[in-house]
Amino acid sequence: MTTENRNSNAALVIGAGIAGIKVALEIAESGARVYLCDRQPHIGGTLVQLDKWFPDNHCGLCKILPVFNRDRTGQYCLRRGLLHPNIELLLHHQVKKVEGKPGRFSVTLKPEYPRVNPELCTGCGICEAACPVTDDANFNQVPGGHRAIFLHHPLALPKTYSIDAERCTRCGACVDACPTRAISMSAPDEGLQLKVGAIILSTGFENFDATTATQYGYQRYPNVITGLELERRPGGSGPFPGVLYRPSDGAIPRSIAFLQCVGCRDRKRDYCSSACCMYAIKEATMIKEMYPDTDVNIFFMDLRAFGKGHHRYYDKARDELGVRFTRQRVPAVKQDFRTGDLLIMAFDQSGEVITSRFDMVVLATGQTPSREFEETCQILGIKTNKWGFAATGAFSAVDTTREGIFVCGTASTPQDIADTLVEATAAAGRAMGFLGSEKALPVTPPRPGEEEAGAAVILCNCYGQVGQTINLREIADFCHRAPGVAYVEEVVHLCHPETWREVKARLSESGVNKAVIAACSLLPPPGLYEDTCIELINIREQLAWVHRDDGLKATEKAGRLVNMALEKIHSQEYVPPPEGESVVPGALVIGGGLAGLSAARAIAERGFGVEVVEKSDALGGNAGHVFSLLGGENPREYLENLVDEVKNHPRIHLRLNTEVVGVTGHIGNFKCTLKDERSETADIEAGAIIVATGAGESRPSEYLYGRAGQVITQRELEAGLASGRIDAAALRSVAMVQCVGSRDKDRPYCSRVCCSQALKNALNLKLLNPETEITVFYRDIMSYGFREEYYTRAREAGVLFVRYEPEQKPQVSLEDDVLEIRATDPVTGNVVIIRPDRLVLSPAIVPPDDNTALSRVLGIGLTGDGFFREMEAKFLPVDSPRAGIFLCGLASRPQDIRETITQAGAAAQQAAALLSRSRLTGGKAVSLVNERRCSGCELCIAACPYEARVKNVEKGVARVIEALCQGCGACAAACPNGAASLRELKDQQLFRILDAAL
Amino acid sequence: MPTSVLIEVGEGNLREGVNSFLRSILEKKMLDALLVPLELPSGGMTAPALVSDPAMLGNANPLAPIMTVSTARLASSLTKVAASQRKVGVVLRPCELRALIELIKLKQASRENLVFIGVDCYGTCSVKDYNRLCQETPAPAEELLKRVKSGDESLLRDACRVCEYPAPINADIAIGLIGTDTGKGFLVRADSAEGESVLEGLGLKPGVAVPEKEREKAVAELAASRTKNKNELYSRFEVETTGVDNLLSVFSACVNCHNCRVACPLCYCRECFFDSATFDWEAEKYLGWAEKRGAVRLPADSLLFHLTRLNHMATSCVGCGLCQEACPNDVPVFPIFRKVGEELQKMFGYVPGRSLEDELPLSVFREEELGEVGES
Amino acid sequence: MEDKKEGITGEYGETAGKEEFEPSLVGFFCNWCTSTAADLAGTTRLQYPPNIRPIRVMCSGAVDPVYVLRALCSGADGVIIGGCPPGDCHYISGNYKTRRRMAALKTILKTLGLDDDRVWVRWISASEGAKFARTMREFTEAMRKKGPNPLKNRWSI
Repeated sequence: MTTENRNSNAALVIGAGIAGIKVALEIAESGARVYLCDRQPHIGGTLVQLDKWFPDNHCGLCKILPVFNRDRTGQYCLRRGLLHPNIELLLHHQVKKVEGKPGRFSVTLKPEYPRVNPELCTGCGICEAACPVTDDANFNQVPGGHRAIFLHHPLALPKTYSIDAERCTRCGACVDACPTRAISMSAPDEGLQLKVGAIILSTGFENFDATTATQYGYQRYPNVITGLELERRPGGSGPFPGVLYRPSDGAIPRSIAFLQCVGCRDRKRDYCSSACCMYAIKEATMIKEMYPDTDVNIFFMDLRAFGKGHHRYYDKARDELGVRFTRQRVPAVKQDFRTGDLLIMAFDQSGEVITSRFDMVVLATGQTPSREFEETCQILGIKTNKWGFAATGAFSAVDTTREGIFVCGTASTPQDIADTLVEATAAAGRAMGFLGSEKALPVTPPRPGEEEAGAAVILCNCYGQVGQTINLREIADFCHRAPGVAYVEEVVHLCHPETWREVKARLSESGVNKAVIAACSLLPPPGLYEDTCIELINIREQLAWVHRDDGLKATEKAGRLVNMALEKIHSQEYVPPPEGESVVPGALVIGGGLAGLSAARAIAERGFGVEVVEKSDALGGNAGHVFSLLGGENPREYLENLVDEVKNHPRIHLRLNTEVVGVTGHIGNFKCTLKDERSETADIEAGAIIVATGAGESRPSEYLYGRAGQVITQRELEAGLASGRIDAAALRSVAMVQCVGSRDKDRPYCSRVCCSQALKNALNLKLLNPETEITVFYRDIMSYGFREEYYTRAREAGVLFVRYEPEQKPQVSLEDDVLEIRATDPVTGNVVIIRPDRLVLSPAIVPPDDNTALSRVLGIGLTGDGFFREMEAKFLPVDSPRAGIFLCGLASRPQDIRETITQAGAAAQQAAALLSRSRLTGGKAVSLVNERRCSGCELCIAACPYEARVKNVEKGVARVIEALCQGCGACAAACPNGAASLRELKDQQLFRILDAAL
Repeated sequence: MPTSVLIEVGEGNLREGVNSFLRSILEKKMLDALLVPLELPSGGMTAPALVSDPAMLGNANPLAPIMTVSTARLASSLTKVAASQRKVGVVLRPCELRALIELIKLKQASRENLVFIGVDCYGTCSVKDYNRLCQETPAPAEELLKRVKSGDESLLRDACRVCEYPAPINADIAIGLIGTDTGKGFLVRADSAEGESVLEGLGLKPGVAVPEKEREKAVAELAASRTKNKNELYSRFEVETTGVDNLLSVFSACVNCHNCRVACPLCYCRECFFDSATFDWEAEKYLGWAEKRGAVRLPADSLLFHLTRLNHMATSCVGCGLCQEACPNDVPVFPIFRKVGEELQKMFGYVPGRSLEDELPLSVFREEELGEVGES
Repeated sequence: MEDKKEGITGEYGETAGKEEFEPSLVGFFCNWCTSTAADLAGTTRLQYPPNIRPIRVMCSGAVDPVYVLRALCSGADGVIIGGCPPGDCHYISGNYKTRRRMAALKTILKTLGLDDDRVWVRWISASEGAKFARTMREFTEAMRKKGPNPLKNRWSI
């Protein structure tokens, strides 16, 4: 068998930010291998610089880690690193050449030089002390920072130092200083050759360089900073944790202005960066929470809070926290040189110039493609759009112009984290189709304990980093004397590959299956934990480096920590590994619209059976009402093909006029009861469920809709134009009203697609009849991303946009069959009167009433707006709160056709990754029930956040569903008598550890 | 308006009156059995029994001022494995009823097909005092009633003298004595639909004016005086039971017999944590502890036992005081548990036994609360 | 490692020596936030006293109050529980449960006149290395001021 004829079972992911990490994890969890490369020597991209994220102002990055197969992936904060046996990190590498074809690409990568070898770098920092060059921009975005060799992010894993190639003088001081000889200045010629089946581009964005927007005085006025600088300054790991100082004088700012759209929505970059309104509101919120009396004023053009839950967040910032919002593009910022205060010139309602004074100005800079992006795209042979982002198709956000190469996140369009994660998951799903056969990860059970073999203790000196504080000799002596220690090994540098091989070899020769490793936060590569009971203690970051002044006590403490670890592993009982449950290799898709059909096709293509259940008698859903996209493409053909493929797919079974009336069981093993129109029921099994039930359009109750024939909806206009029932040539004047039933008290959310729909229909009308006068009454035009261009085009085509305030909606009256609209322009105060032939309304997208019933059947909740709730709004945007049930399409949130297809792809990927497992197991560290002790009080069941504990009614005791258990230990802490316990930390073990500690 | 009936009895016939009321319930087959204290053949002493033959109820003595075991416990045994298919009436003192409500929340008992017959309680005596009372008088219940009403609470257990719940809550049928001239009669009131249907089936109709108002007032007065007693009890024990020295001193009499835990209606664990293998240690361990402090007391961990038991059950402690009765060495466990329980319950705004709807404080949380914990 | 016997003579023997008292402290730190912050403190070389003995748990919600009681009865001069900030828990709600449990535990200790200030709960997120180091300094200092846990050397416990 030669490899040439088979597709490679590996993928290359370029860019290791949040998008790249997510793609890599998804592919790795689907059983394929991943090379994750980045030009930087660390992972995390922009995201790790941000401490908190809306909508809940929390960190939750760790939530994207896989929940199954936990023992094989790093169970640590993702800010520190990414460990997965199927993922190989190629950091500080650049792609140089791509050849071959989909399924069989041949890629050349080259490491960047000057270079710190991550395998050798211990992160000790001696190089930094030796470096004579200082730099002025760093991770914390505070001037006066680091040297030319520096640690980009103090939590980064691998803890490898970076060299700023531009600043580095190649003096070689660090090369000589490095104790592990990890640094080299020049590159060897040969690169790295990889065979991969698919390539995913996730290189992210660069912030717009605010120095080029000279009118704002960035870097000339100290108190003008960027949004990212504002993130870093008071961040937990920032330079001034928990406080916001004004750069010029260290005072707490009493007033702060945010200027939106810096570097976008202009002639040069006629697109919207999509995320800046929300990040500004988040930062404003956090400032208000820190300093309620500080005046925060956001200067914006359109407030684009179009994502799920965003409008509520905006309402809260404005109404509850008192953040001020001023609709105005600020032309320039001036500084009062006496005080460092900033002066913002603006026009008031009457056109007068007024000047407001602020302590600080924050520039909400937009997203731009990175400097090297163009070159990367050339190497990959893919096209970019006119703004320099990767070009994608009208029906796929993740396919590039070259087959087998995919893109996700901000490399293709500016977007926020949640949308990026959806795209990343979808891209992984598409890439899987080009990789060699999928196989489930093998599970190696740990060996049963051989008590007499004893434990090994391995002490790492880390090239003297530990030894300079701690007397390791003394620890070793102590260990030799301690009972049950088979041998003690002191090594110079455990993470050196050579040393590591030797240590592992000795471990397996000696027959010990328990070991205490005293080293650092650099974790041993995965693979060791599987058959050895390892207790890892960190004597570098948590000891040698923090107790430098007191070697004696630090040594005593190190001894205790080793002793505590020995106590723990000595008292570790052998419990046979969880068997895991089998997985039903098929999915149930609820809903036969665009989302459901897309997901069904994608899952079937991965080799799994799919049952599609549609309530009505037709497939296609809302997409059937769309006749063209904003770019002019025809979605009907796409939909028809999709319907055909689904109907004829051998692995897809369709059930029309059918509803899901019951779901029991859990992830991997759902039992679903279906009911058809004759009320006959059928029971089916599914390993995963996809909810794609769609949403409807609200029926407007305002603006004389239903009472005057001239008043129609955008959908009716579109259908009328398509069928010719509405003759554009005969239309003299058309008015449109946006946000009909959206963004109000009853429905505090944005329906997201209506502005684009209005722009599309307005442009179409103008195309058909340039003479038609079109007036759009709007509140904020939500032309996020590249939709902005169409907003510009519409204005250029003469479409008139008149804003209205929700308190002063346009008034519509009908007299003698003449429709009249009156509105007051909030800027000029002028009254606009229009007598259009048609008034076109943009009604809200509303969740169907039967969501409530379905949500009960599925055991998952709805948001306050009635859409299906996801597990976590930002980091798990496709997962429902119940494991194994995924959301996509309008059931989850308002979104357009392309976004729906993307989310359906993401849901399909997550379902397929799940279905590809032969058995579902959690980690080794799941919880157990001692049935003899259990009184059945159910306190553990109440404590479990994952519904992993249920009552065994027959026995009257608790039972653990191991596939759902995440090993958090909440049950064990709730159980009064130890009947619930963690497999690897029982009460007595803990008591023994305490004894050793005290 | 709930059905409330005054059942009249002749002077000195209170017990007989209550018994015939209970008997009529079984006779008319309103319920299939009753869990009620019966007087033992030896006389005086009572023991709870599940009675199906109405004739046996002649020996019933639900008013006897003695509580050797909490009926809550027994109702738990009766229903935990599987709820009763037939209707069983359980005659409960207020503290027993409150404990049973907690046990139901802890899934140790089932509410299904149980009818709670709550009885007003002026308090109970220790076994020793009760035996003495039985020797002194043929009608100990009435005698004690008389004494307590006249202000002589000397025979009551501490737990009863400080009990602020003399009247049952959450009963289906309440038997009222407080505020009623017990020489003439007692009160029966239906507090639920279930209770209504029983009383209706018995053909009980409101007759003479029922002294509801008087009862309410008397209950409140009694509770108030008990609160006063409670504060006195706290101040009496405050010094003795606070601080390391005092606690070690009072617990020095504890022999780890764990009788308090056995007697406690809320310590429901099948196997107590402190009897489990978690506390089995090798000799080396004990020697290690001895070396650390110079000596180690055996049996070990008595303070830890009591602190942990507090942590496990004090939020639900109903203050029945059976722990105190069970202690062979008079360790003042009742005042300690009562006081700690009260503080915990106050903190969570929780009243054990108040309602089946109230969630157990340590099983739930609110996102916005306890900001002071974790503050720096 | 080796326990230093501090010349205890009897049940009420005073152990406070001439030297400054060094408290023995136990910390239960959650894997996701506080342990990560502890590493961050190390990477940035922030110094704090070595008195704290860290025990890593997956979630602060896994800390059974009996662990804290056991530590105190075994002579810990202070116990600190470090978890993810409210709302941030990797396990959805573990820290909220911890908060209630520890509030209850502290109330028990306080009511009995046992020093509940020896039990600290702190929310320290993964990025708060400085807060971790500061908290360890403050905790050690506060416990040093308090002096030895009176339960420490009682044989009759």
